[in-house]
Amino acid sequence: MSYFAQALVNGIALGGMYTILVLGFSIIWGVMGVINLAHGEFVMVGAYLAWMASDFWDVDPFISAPVVFVVMLLFGYLVQRVLVNRIIDRSSLVSLLVMFGVSIILQSVMKIAFSADFRLANTDLDGAWRLSDQLTIPVTRFWILVVAVGVTAGLGLFLGHSRLGKSIRAAAQNREAARIVGVDVKKVYAVTFALCIGLTGVAGALISPLLAVQPFQGPPLTLKAFAITAMAGLGSVRGALGGAMVLGMVEAMLALYVDRIGTNLAVVASFVLLVAALVLRPQGIFKGLRHVDATST
Amino acid sequence: MSRAAPGTGAVAGRWPAGRAVGVGALIVLVVLAVLPLLGGTSNATLLTLTLMLTSIGVAINWNLTGGFTGYVDFGHAVWFGIGAYATAILISLQSNGPQVGWPPVPAILVGALVAGFLAAIIGRATMRLKGPYFSIAMLGTFVAVREIVRVWSPLTGGGVGLTLPPYLNRALFYYVELALVTVLVVGTWWLRRTRFGAALVAIREDEVGAETRGIDTTRLKTAVFSFAGLSTGLFGALWAYQNTFVDPDIAFVEVRTIDAVMGTMLGGLGTVAGPVLGAAALYWVRELLWTHLLDAHLLAQGVLLIVIVLFVPRGLVGLVDRRGTSLFELWGWKGWSRGLRQGPVAGGEAEAAS
Repeated sequence: MSYFAQALVNGIALGGMYTILVLGFSIIWGVMGVINLAHGEFVMVGAYLAWMASDFWDVDPFISAPVVFVVMLLFGYLVQRVLVNRIIDRSSLVSLLVMFGVSIILQSVMKIAFSADFRLANTDLDGAWRLSDQLTIPVTRFWILVVAVGVTAGLGLFLGHSRLGKSIRAAAQNREAARIVGVDVKKVYAVTFALCIGLTGVAGALISPLLAVQPFQGPPLTLKAFAITAMAGLGSVRGALGGAMVLGMVEAMLALYVDRIGTNLAVVASFVLLVAALVLRPQGIFKGLRHVDATST
Repeated sequence: MSRAAPGTGAVAGRWPAGRAVGVGALIVLVVLAVLPLLGGTSNATLLTLTLMLTSIGVAINWNLTGGFTGYVDFGHAVWFGIGAYATAILISLQSNGPQVGWPPVPAILVGALVAGFLAAIIGRATMRLKGPYFSIAMLGTFVAVREIVRVWSPLTGGGVGLTLPPYLNRALFYYVELALVTVLVVGTWWLRRTRFGAALVAIREDEVGAETRGIDTTRLKTAVFSFAGLSTGLFGALWAYQNTFVDPDIAFVEVRTIDAVMGTMLGGLGTVAGPVLGAAALYWVRELLWTHLLDAHLLAQGVLLIVIVLFVPRGLVGLVDRRGTSLFELWGWKGWSRGLRQGPVAGGEAEAAS
């Protein structure tokens, strides 16, 4: 029973981590219709920035996160201007392949710059709180969960109530209509992409003390983001939280009940969830920003 | 593609050009066939050429689903790895110490069949998804299978991998793969002229439309997907023998999928010659990059991918086509490239070009 309670805690903590990892991916897809295959690589770049701050200047990732946000925001804006603007009107295959190219480039650049060695950032918010003999709360993950819930609530308010947020939702629902009523769609896209990449960078910074920072950490993260988004509905903020919790819980339970190899099966689990969700409920479980129908017939 | 009787005006003008392509292909084939017989062809050269043929073969198979039916498979290398692993497992079977492994030929064939069989099962689920959903589901299949292979150590040797008894006859493997690639090229060329091939293109152009016209799209696309899996599995099985060692990270590499996608895009998506030209060109470009840029070769490849997609979406074949040459008429490229203009890559903007 107490092991179960621990797995429950781990699942929620993991879900918090996935929430912040998936939000940027989900909103870019929901608003712009671009599947950001380089998502995991943007996480990785953010993680490297936080690791550098931690390693060179001894700054805690939780403190450097806002700086990482700004740097990644600018980086995202640059990528949007140079590349994403060109592919936004074209078929999804074009954007998939171009973002795939971006992911290869980022991996390669980081490998040249930092080698493929595994790094970890240091944080003071580490260790675990012991509640009882068999129940502990991992501190770093707890604070990530707090940030994730805060960001989710903030994003929900921003999208729901601010003028810019409303423009973003309008552009997602019907681009032409949004243009007609005076929304500057190009600007909305630029802001959305930059904001989401900034957020993605923060996710990378926060997980840098937990997940080995290395050039090739991205693809599994992209896959998980995809699985959660497909489950949750494109661009749905609440859905991202819910889907992330589901995946986190599944992984924690696998780790508990499948002896030794359960943790390795996590990525398999996300894949099975993804295909099952797509085939069984192609429109997503939560109502997203964009209607989607994934099956062909 | 109408084949009018020779001698009628415009068509007569095209025949010699078409024949030239056929003759050119034949010459390349003969040169490749005699190459090992000439003195001075080292085993290393043969291995390089064999690996190039592997790359071409996988690209042709990828093109069957990605180019013809428009289902862009981002995890195609999974069949390569499964073929390699199935063969390696059969060969290195042990019972209480002594090896009781299978002989090479049945091991390779069964390895390919295993890949084809799994492709049939997984294809049935994933091919219900369309567009990017299918692509990512296949990427997921790839990553998931690699993890399963890593975890299932009693059978697969886990992360340590499996070692195969060396069976090194470079020339033999070279000829087998040359024959396979030839068969695949002729096969795709022939496929384009059958109802089956036409139905595949119909799926790419308008799946719902094809279905309402009585084409059993599910059966056809799963069939071609399974065949592509089987064929790529066969190349994987052959590769396992030549490499004499498999582990999850070298049998299942993303680069193999990337190469197939990029090679086909570079040559011309959904064409017969595209994957052959593109994969061969890409192979040599990569060899050059590898020797001259070392670490940066992956970087260069990423840039190349973006440039191809943005600026040469119809590939090398499309470039020739645009110049108004009917050089590729015989192989039906006019029809292909016309389809491609409304196809998944060129999308809307190519309509203006036509």
